[in-house]
Amino acid sequence: MPMALAMLEEAYARRGAPPASSTLPTGDRTPVVGYVGADMPVELLTAAGLRALRLTGDPESGSARGDRYLGRGVDPTARSVLTRLLAGSFGDLDHLVISHDCEASLRLFYALRELRRVEPGTGLPEVYLVDILHLPHRTTARYNRRRIGEFAARLEAWTGRTLDLAGAVAAHDERRRLLVAAAELRRAVPARLTGRQFLAVANAVLPVAEHIALLERLLAEAGQLEEHAGRRVFLSGSDHDTPHVYEAVESEGYVIVGEDHGFGGPSPEGLIGSGGLDALAEHYHYSGPTAHRATVSERAAHAARAVRHCRAELFVAYSRIADEAPAWDFPAQRAALDIPAVLLERQEYGRADLTALRKEHPCAV
Amino acid sequence: MRSVKSLATAAEAGRHQREWFADLRRRVAAGEPFALLNADVPHEIFRTMDIPYAVSQWWASLVAAKQRSQHYLELVRQRGYPDYSEQYNSVTLGSAFDPEPEAGPWGGLPRPDIVVGDVTGDITRKVFDIWGHEPGVTFYPLESAAENEVPVNWWELMPHRWEQAIGPARLDLLTAELENLVRFLETTTGRRFSESRFREVMALVDEQEEWNRKTRDLIARTRPAPLGVVDSIPSVMLPQWHRGTEWARDIAKRFYEEVRDRVESGQAACPDERARLMWIGRGLWYDMGFYQRFQDEYGAVFVWSMYLAIAADGYIRYGDDPMRALAARFAAFGDQLYTPPWSSEWYVKEARLHGIDGVVHLVSDDPRGSYFTARALEAAGFPVIEIHADNVDARTFGDEVVERVGQWLENVVLA
Ligand code: SF4
Ligand code: SF4
Repeated sequence: MPMALAMLEEAYARRGAPPASSTLPTGDRTPVVGYVGADMPVELLTAAGLRALRLTGDPESGSARGDRYLGRGVDPTARSVLTRLLAGSFGDLDHLVISHDCEASLRLFYALRELRRVEPGTGLPEVYLVDILHLPHRTTARYNRRRIGEFAARLEAWTGRTLDLAGAVAAHDERRRLLVAAAELRRAVPARLTGRQFLAVANAVLPVAEHIALLERLLAEAGQLEEHAGRRVFLSGSDHDTPHVYEAVESEGYVIVGEDHGFGGPSPEGLIGSGGLDALAEHYHYSGPTAHRATVSERAAHAARAVRHCRAELFVAYSRIADEAPAWDFPAQRAALDIPAVLLERQEYGRADLTALRKEHPCAV
Repeated sequence: MRSVKSLATAAEAGRHQREWFADLRRRVAAGEPFALLNADVPHEIFRTMDIPYAVSQWWASLVAAKQRSQHYLELVRQRGYPDYSEQYNSVTLGSAFDPEPEAGPWGGLPRPDIVVGDVTGDITRKVFDIWGHEPGVTFYPLESAAENEVPVNWWELMPHRWEQAIGPARLDLLTAELENLVRFLETTTGRRFSESRFREVMALVDEQEEWNRKTRDLIARTRPAPLGVVDSIPSVMLPQWHRGTEWARDIAKRFYEEVRDRVESGQAACPDERARLMWIGRGLWYDMGFYQRFQDEYGAVFVWSMYLAIAADGYIRYGDDPMRALAARFAAFGDQLYTPPWSSEWYVKEARLHGIDGVVHLVSDDPRGSYFTARALEAAGFPVIEIHADNVDARTFGDEVVERVGQWLENVVLA
């Protein structure tokens, strides 16, 4: 395996673990902020000089406390994240920031806020909601701009320093550009990256500058990447904060060449540019289209475009238990596609019902 | 097991509801526009413009009461959509797919021209958007925004200091969306929006809810309770769907007077009252008899449901700017019932006010903060039993529930 890919894999394996403490020459530790949500404006976290850690769950480790506080009607990823937060699995976090990318994230925010109020012994850090909304209207755009401004002010209050927004946006835009190029490697026929590998490439737990360096190296080493000739799958629906489902599906001989959830590549693929907070607000307003925030027709149109772009041969919609939005999207998606489509509904966290998949397509290659 | 509506206002509200619906069907058949609205959106605008409307949740509760939910969920399933997801809205969506709509309850729900819903959660927008794809139907969505820090005592702040309770960001957003909604309705229906009529409607709503507040306070302090929730729910809920009319204001007043007469003549839901129960969650529409099932054996009376209490505390908004006051009624409406700390502290306040002995908590798969409600009530000394079911989908309700509640009454509440 080319060096860069191995290093990205290694960094991905550190997801959800406490970050190596980064102590500055002055002896100060860089504050760490844990965040949740696909539409989090991470540029602002970087601009504030914070170490940003995206919080992920773990289907293997149980979620009793999260189940208790959130109830079983909430997406199990959020229940797992809460359980792990309360167990201290993410190490010392100075702040928590949550976006409103789906109902589960919002309920997680409310639970954290209330736990801090009524059970201070849980030792949770301050939690902040970044309420970016997604109706395609000017009223929503103005609201988002206000919330982005408030968040920027809050970060400055936390750190006592002025944000370096231009530098941060430039870095994240560069990462975005490189991730889009990496996604092209997977879209090649045959694919030069598996879905599982791409998940690691996109979600490697690294400071932005190091991530950029490894992505550049990965692209330089592209000639050494293996070819993956499996049946090409587009994976739609629920978020995958762990590789479990990718590994299960690809173990059947498929290769996942594209997805439309919050842990895939940049979506939209366009850059933010030099427009400051206005451009940042607009970018996140139109992030997606995700299962939780877009309409059925937006999702269907996007599926048709994405399947062509990825040259997928099979469309798999995955709807996790208590995350039902993808199941509502499916009928219109199927109607918009000219390839076979299968719905895996009410799936358990970290699992994929492979019998349903096999029934649809007896041979995978 | 009796489930008789023994209040005259409940009977009148039921009669009025049928007449109103028949009239609505006539108006729509004659070519007037028809709007289908979610419960938490500002009906007052439609009232002001005299655009006929019905409430999605009311229709779903009627369908459930007629044991017809399965029929509509089946129609949803036949289109390939999940029949296990957000049944409260999808039952109503099912009526849009009905090949024989007139076979539905009360002659069926007419086809709406406009559907308005707020985009709470991940599913509601999808359900209504799917509806918007039916020929001639437009979906007008409203945002569902959230706030970082809120003062806890919303029930004290809301009537006059709602700006402080909700915060300007959400109020600016919804006010702007409502101004746009008015323009949209003026354009598509040709009807006018009169500001003075709007002020009248807003005043009527506040008066109606003031009467409900007096009724709630009276029930809270009277022992034995003059009536249980089976009687109070129709007397408060049906008029709630007619907010902003004189009929609704007047029947809220008569409801108060009827309860007061009962108190004065010493009538009670259960004269031998030994336990006052609180019901948390939506109404169990397919089995309203459930609420009276524990009276004979245990003297346990459900004196509290959210319907009267939220009418008393959740709607009143005074102020000089009616559109912003209307936005304040709905910008955080659901938070009052479902988002801690607002919800949890309010239930405790209400349990204390009503002298509650035990709390039965209906937990549906609806992802809302129920742990913190139960926790706050227990921390305040109220025993809580949780039962798991969906309120319109009878398939989810098991027989063992009645038995469990009985045992809990015996072993915990009355022990
Ligand atoms: S079942 Fe048919 S369509 Fe599916 S992979 Fe096999 S040969 Fe191809
Ligand atoms: S137990 Fe209560 S409800 Fe039953 S008959 Fe006696 S007083 Fe009436």
